[in-house]
Amino acid sequence: MTQPEFPKGRTMSAPLFRRVVAVAAAAGVAGLSLAACSTKGDDDGSSSAGGKVSITVDCQPVASQKELLANWNADVDAFQKENPNIEIKSVSVGTQCNNPPDFTARLQGGTTTDVFYGYMTDLQQVLDSGQVMDITEYVSASTVSTWDSVDAGAKAAFTDGGKVYGIPTKNYSMGLVYNKNLFQQAGLDVKNPPKTWAEVREAAKKISALGNGIAGYSEYSAGNTGGWHFTAELYSLGGQMVTEDGKKADFNNPMGKQVLQTLKDMRFTDNSVGEKQLLQWPDLLTNAGAGKVGMFIGAPDATQAIVTQFQGKYQDWAMGPMPGQDGAAKATLGGGEGYFFKKGLSKEQVEAGLKWLAYQKLTPGKGQFDYVRAKPQNYPVGLPQPQLFTVGSAAYGQELEQRKANANITVEDFAVFENNPVPVKVEPPNAQAIYAVLDAAMSAVLTDPKANVDQLLKTAEDKVNQVLATGGTGS
Amino acid sequence: MATITAQGKPAKVSGPPRPPARRRGRRTRRIQSNLTGYAFLLGAVVCFAVFSWYPMIRGIVMSFQRTRRGETTWVGWDNYERIVNDPSFWTAWKNTFYFTALALILGYAVPFLVAILLNEFRHAKGYLRILVYLPVMLPPASALFLFKYYAYDPSDAGLFNAILKFLHLPTSEWMQSTTMTMPAMVIASTWMNMGAAVLIYLAALQNIPGELYEAAEVDGAGIWRRIWNVTIPQTKLILSLMAMLQIVATMQLFIEPLILANGAGTQDSATSVAYLIYQHGFFQNDLNGAAALGVIMLVVLGGFSFVYVRLTSRQDET
Amino acid sequence: MTRTLISSAQMRRGRGKYMYWTLLTVVIVVFTLVFVGPLYWMVTGALKSGQEIAQTPPTLWPEDPRLTNYTDAWHQLDLAKLLFNTFYYAAGALVFQLVLDTAAAYALSKLRPAFGNVILALMLATLMIPAMVLIIPQYVTVIDLPILHVNLLDSPLALWLPAVANAFNIFLLKRFFDSIPEEIMSAAIMDGATPLRTLWSIILPMSRPILGVVSIFAVTAVWKDFLWPKLVMPSPETRTVSVGIYAFSGGTPMNVVVAAAVIAAIPTIVFFLIFQKSIMSGLTAGSLKG
Repeated sequence: MTQPEFPKGRTMSAPLFRRVVAVAAAAGVAGLSLAACSTKGDDDGSSSAGGKVSITVDCQPVASQKELLANWNADVDAFQKENPNIEIKSVSVGTQCNNPPDFTARLQGGTTTDVFYGYMTDLQQVLDSGQVMDITEYVSASTVSTWDSVDAGAKAAFTDGGKVYGIPTKNYSMGLVYNKNLFQQAGLDVKNPPKTWAEVREAAKKISALGNGIAGYSEYSAGNTGGWHFTAELYSLGGQMVTEDGKKADFNNPMGKQVLQTLKDMRFTDNSVGEKQLLQWPDLLTNAGAGKVGMFIGAPDATQAIVTQFQGKYQDWAMGPMPGQDGAAKATLGGGEGYFFKKGLSKEQVEAGLKWLAYQKLTPGKGQFDYVRAKPQNYPVGLPQPQLFTVGSAAYGQELEQRKANANITVEDFAVFENNPVPVKVEPPNAQAIYAVLDAAMSAVLTDPKANVDQLLKTAEDKVNQVLATGGTGS
Repeated sequence: MATITAQGKPAKVSGPPRPPARRRGRRTRRIQSNLTGYAFLLGAVVCFAVFSWYPMIRGIVMSFQRTRRGETTWVGWDNYERIVNDPSFWTAWKNTFYFTALALILGYAVPFLVAILLNEFRHAKGYLRILVYLPVMLPPASALFLFKYYAYDPSDAGLFNAILKFLHLPTSEWMQSTTMTMPAMVIASTWMNMGAAVLIYLAALQNIPGELYEAAEVDGAGIWRRIWNVTIPQTKLILSLMAMLQIVATMQLFIEPLILANGAGTQDSATSVAYLIYQHGFFQNDLNGAAALGVIMLVVLGGFSFVYVRLTSRQDET
Repeated sequence: MTRTLISSAQMRRGRGKYMYWTLLTVVIVVFTLVFVGPLYWMVTGALKSGQEIAQTPPTLWPEDPRLTNYTDAWHQLDLAKLLFNTFYYAAGALVFQLVLDTAAAYALSKLRPAFGNVILALMLATLMIPAMVLIIPQYVTVIDLPILHVNLLDSPLALWLPAVANAFNIFLLKRFFDSIPEEIMSAAIMDGATPLRTLWSIILPMSRPILGVVSIFAVTAVWKDFLWPKLVMPSPETRTVSVGIYAFSGGTPMNVVVAAAVIAAIPTIVFFLIFQKSIMSGLTAGSLKG
């Protein structure tokens, strides 16, 4: 260590000293007051001072989703005008409102908003966190006018032991999303997308023959999304990830093998899935937006993301049902989203939250269903979603009629998907842990020409069995 | 750390010579001076207590508990059992050790050699130093996205592959290849972090008395002998300190796999222990399991420090 | 100029001189390519279209340079806010560390209260514990602070206070203070100066080199940290630059992400180039000599 330099007669003057101390103190005070603010935020709402009820709501669109954000803000203004005693404070939590690690962190940290967004499959985790409120007594057709029209399956996903914990706002299932332009260029029939995996493979070959870095078919293999798609593809063949009792892995069989082998053949025999692998959500959609992807597995809203965030054009995209083995898929992975209510809200707040959700998410012609407003925007109208209302119910009829009337996409492009419904199957228990395991197998068949499919499945099976045996994590 | 604590202790605790005083006065004065001392220490000690010492105990406690729906129960070794049986547990350790070893070769030796080289130049010194330190100033995410999207592009459009192709060398799939994943992460990490180490070594090199080189040269020692016999022994303390700091730093490998490899990388080739902690804590909603893994990491590093202290203290004796 | 590995005389003579200049030129060229080359690639890459960036072989200069990636990045990601946050957190961490760690090191070195050595040893023990080991219990602690039961998430204190618990900086400061002769201290005390006054007017002015080093370490630590700010500053308004860019990459085309990365790097590089002299001399003149 160095010797210090000896003082060169420079000492700090007393006024300067005082000033520095003052600055330091001010910094400390500023920090403390900020801390106070941040903790205050949550309690603030629970009081309804002056008869005004205030609630925080998340999943406000982000700045890059310009029109969606403008719509959301307009909805908030209109709603507050109708309900002058309610104040909605919007919070944006990112482009993906439920990015699993961030969502978990919000639950653990108690930083969720009063009314917070979540997936159907999050119910167990939300219950485990002890952050959610039982809203059974508040939910009825008198608070949410379209409640009786809402799909029973979607409601069930937010119900546990007869108690309602959330309000579904969207319900979807996966299918084959494809690029019409590339189909046309490759001489494929745009109106007749591949219905089996063998046809997908053939089509992918033709599309990738266009060259120019175009992948006929594109697939995830990182960030737990690879395992997610493995699951979707296994379901399409009639398989399941875990046995009925939830105790053992159930994919080390000819069906699981076929999923991996098909992908490996497409990658290394046909060379039709592109050189760049290890993709996760934004990577694939970036390529899709740039017109470099012929087909991929996704829900209808994938095209929304391609358009609003990844510089794509919705006119390019169409959708068919999930491909199967020798015909229609046996099942497709389904999911949905909704809003939970944070524990400890007052009666007024819950009612205000329900009113807002009813207004923005569950009323045909309003909010997410305001197709008149969305039609001229760079936002696809006419997609076969959100499949929120029971077929034949009043709300279903209204929504469908308005959707068709204001469609700005060619509705027929999605007709094949909509008219060939496939039974919906939900995610396995411990989904994220299982997906992490299957990422390794997916990345192997997509990057390693020497990958041994049998070995990969065996390893993955052992690992998933371990995950299930050690009690999993309850999420 | 022996070197640090050994020298860190004041040689003698007795203060400056004080004028003789009556016994009672001395005692009150000592109490008073102790109180002043504690007042100065208070802020830092509170921070250590709340954010270091307490979390350490809390981590151990948490690792034997389970919290569900707001209720915490004792579960014995369950969390450890779950963690050790995690499919990626051993892979993560293997990867982390491999990264640490590679980083020692590349990230540790290269800055030292660069410092020796730069120390010889009589011109452009400032410019070269700025160059080496420039990447340190980038936000880590900026630097890593540069590598992820442009340098490690597995097609021939990528920067590295274009250069390799231009030189007629075989190209690589980088992050898509199980064998290249780790070296690629070490290269990126070294590029963005080495500047600081180079400057610290330069400072140490400038402190070596010139006469030592002079004497070695008179004895007929060539350049390599001079490095071996003069440079390295003269910088031994800083070299061993930096080795320790670097090992502790590389054991925490996290942002490189997260950004470059989208987490686990191809076939788990990038999973690190730190990433596994994150995966358990925040993907799988298993804070208790993650805490257990933290405790295991603590034990491993504790063992490592013990060995390190033993080795360095023996060196000091000889 | 002290003598180094090779004597200056040798470098000035015939073959030595030739070798020296060749090596110097090679090093300048290679270092420029290695350290500035990737930055050039990044800046120009974000000017290219998605088509051009995927082209083989890549183009050295964009054929049709377009600023849309940069403008998109600037508008969609609130970079000004992120940069402000990061600087604010770094400045706060610096102030907290300078005030509290200097005071602690001064107490341990000069005031030496009873059990000071025990406290020092407990502090130094944390040097061997990497942040990652404690990240989960620390996170749980920040969510619900013991005794106070305050939640510090999204408050800068969640970054500043843990930063104070930095044994390495306390150690550096204490070592430096140790080397200040006792006589100076006792002379001041004889003059009736309080310990605070002594620290302020005598010790600190002598300690500028070490304070410089500690400041650089304090600022870079905040700058380079990722997971901790990601966890304790979760909302978009409070994120740091690195965390913000990472979150942004989750829903944005690659070229726009790189453009954001470039913009985020500009202010710090400018800052560095302006203050490089003091940073360099701070780091090299500093503390860590073998």
